[in-house]
Amino acid sequence: MSEKKLFQPRVAEVRKVAHDIYLLQFHQPFLSRNARAGQFIEIKTPFRPDILWRRPFSIHNVNPDDGDVEILFHAVGRGTKALAHLGPGDTIDILGPLGNGFHYDDELREAVLVAGGLGVAPFRLLQRELARRGVPMTMFYGVSDEDQFCGVDFFDAHVNLKLSTVDGSRGYKGVVTDLLVEYLDACDDLAHKAVYVCGPTPMLRRVQEIARQYPVPAQVSLETIMACGFGACVGCAVPMTHPQPGVKEYYLTCKDGPVFNIEEIVING
Amino acid sequence: MVDLCVQIGPLRLKNPVMTASGTFGYAEEFKDIVDLNEIGGIVTKTVTPNPRPGNPPRRIVELPGGMLNSIGLPNVGLENFIREKMPFLQTLRTEVVINVAGTTEDGFAECVSRLEDVDGISAYELNFSCPNVNHGTSYSTDPNIAERITAAVRRLTRRPLIAKLTPNVTSISEIGLAVQNGGADAVSAINTVVGMAVDIAARKPKLATITGGYSGPAVKPIALAKVYELARNLSIPVIAIGGIATAEDALEFMIAGATAFQVGTANFYQPDATIKIKKGLESYCKEHNISRVIELVGALP
Repeated sequence: MSEKKLFQPRVAEVRKVAHDIYLLQFHQPFLSRNARAGQFIEIKTPFRPDILWRRPFSIHNVNPDDGDVEILFHAVGRGTKALAHLGPGDTIDILGPLGNGFHYDDELREAVLVAGGLGVAPFRLLQRELARRGVPMTMFYGVSDEDQFCGVDFFDAHVNLKLSTVDGSRGYKGVVTDLLVEYLDACDDLAHKAVYVCGPTPMLRRVQEIARQYPVPAQVSLETIMACGFGACVGCAVPMTHPQPGVKEYYLTCKDGPVFNIEEIVING
Repeated sequence: MVDLCVQIGPLRLKNPVMTASGTFGYAEEFKDIVDLNEIGGIVTKTVTPNPRPGNPPRRIVELPGGMLNSIGLPNVGLENFIREKMPFLQTLRTEVVINVAGTTEDGFAECVSRLEDVDGISAYELNFSCPNVNHGTSYSTDPNIAERITAAVRRLTRRPLIAKLTPNVTSISEIGLAVQNGGADAVSAINTVVGMAVDIAARKPKLATITGGYSGPAVKPIALAKVYELARNLSIPVIAIGGIATAEDALEFMIAGATAFQVGTANFYQPDATIKIKKGLESYCKEHNISRVIELVGALP
């Protein structure tokens, strides 16, 4: 795991890529070479000293050849709305890379990526890493309506992609976990397959049930409120499925995660 | 060249910048980001005799100007602390202050007694004041108990003893005088201010434990008033804590009477805050022709 550092890169571009969803690109060669899929960075919101905490963002993509790094974010809160207003040349204060990242090994024969909404963010880099190892990928990507899809053309060109929308405006009408169930039902053999999931909490709970039922190993990338991102505040506690009562009952999303084996954690909400 | 040395009773710090317990982990978390040896003193996260899992989530809330926390002193317990955390701390070339607490009165003495056998410890800080554990409050608000615990620990050690005080009392000086009588070499203040936040959509408290401790820039004026009061009423040095994020903040506290100070919440969002503050302090002294930083302490008219 590479050591974390503070950087003050300049923004190359902030581009709207879907409804309320923005892609922010900056130049940071160290990060682009060392960040792994599933890791994150913390950004201090520029021009807003009233926003105290840094905000955590999954690393969406890196290009080690030109040193660029991209994050994807939903402009919904005070911090992210301020980020959406940044332009080329603005300086951002970032800390990273943080967290553990997705796990895979030589035994992996097929990866099944399940993305809900902005949960797609870490999968572009995961796709890149798994493609380099020659691992075939199937991806289920669901949103509430088609205006929220981002990067569909990219994923369509590189993985076996199936889309879903809750309102039926594009792809399968319904929730993305239905597609996962249908897929797993059709598989003769789940050996050497792994599910990677990121998305809203109800979807994660459902994937946890599905993973237990089949059973199939699944890794989840979690998002939790955090004040620091590197284990100092101890605020981002997640209950363990198998705690040592009175001794150790919680993992920290920032240090032990943000990627967990889905059976290890209690998903609340 | 500015002399940044300060003296906290028998404890000499190369500069007055310290870290506040519970905001700097066991220092190792910050080793990639700051040169730890540049910091005057590092205060570790509270250790208790037995391991503690900490409070259930949600543990933290961001608020305008500050944050609420209810972490609940999670730690690996005294023996694991000595085995797992001390070796790194022993490599540091700065003063290491171990913050201890007990869930019973005897717990404080139990920690210090065991730590006396361990090298690389410059001082102890007694955490009388965590608002997020059941018994923390009575230790911190009852002067008799605070004095009794301090005296019990005093008998066990010649290492410097710092008592960390809560602002959630009618008279902080009363508690300060009690621990001074008990043999404390210094006090540190303030711990967090008891606070609460409500989720109006769910109509529930935002924190799982309902109330928690408020910290960050917003508590600085409260802390300044308490530090000023303590500095006037006590004969032992005061270490300031409360919303210090910049050198200017730190200077206010020193001028109001603090001999040293601890950086807390700022470590979360500006992990190199300690180093920036130290540099800012040095620049201020140069600009104002102050050769020794201690000249500033209690410089109010």
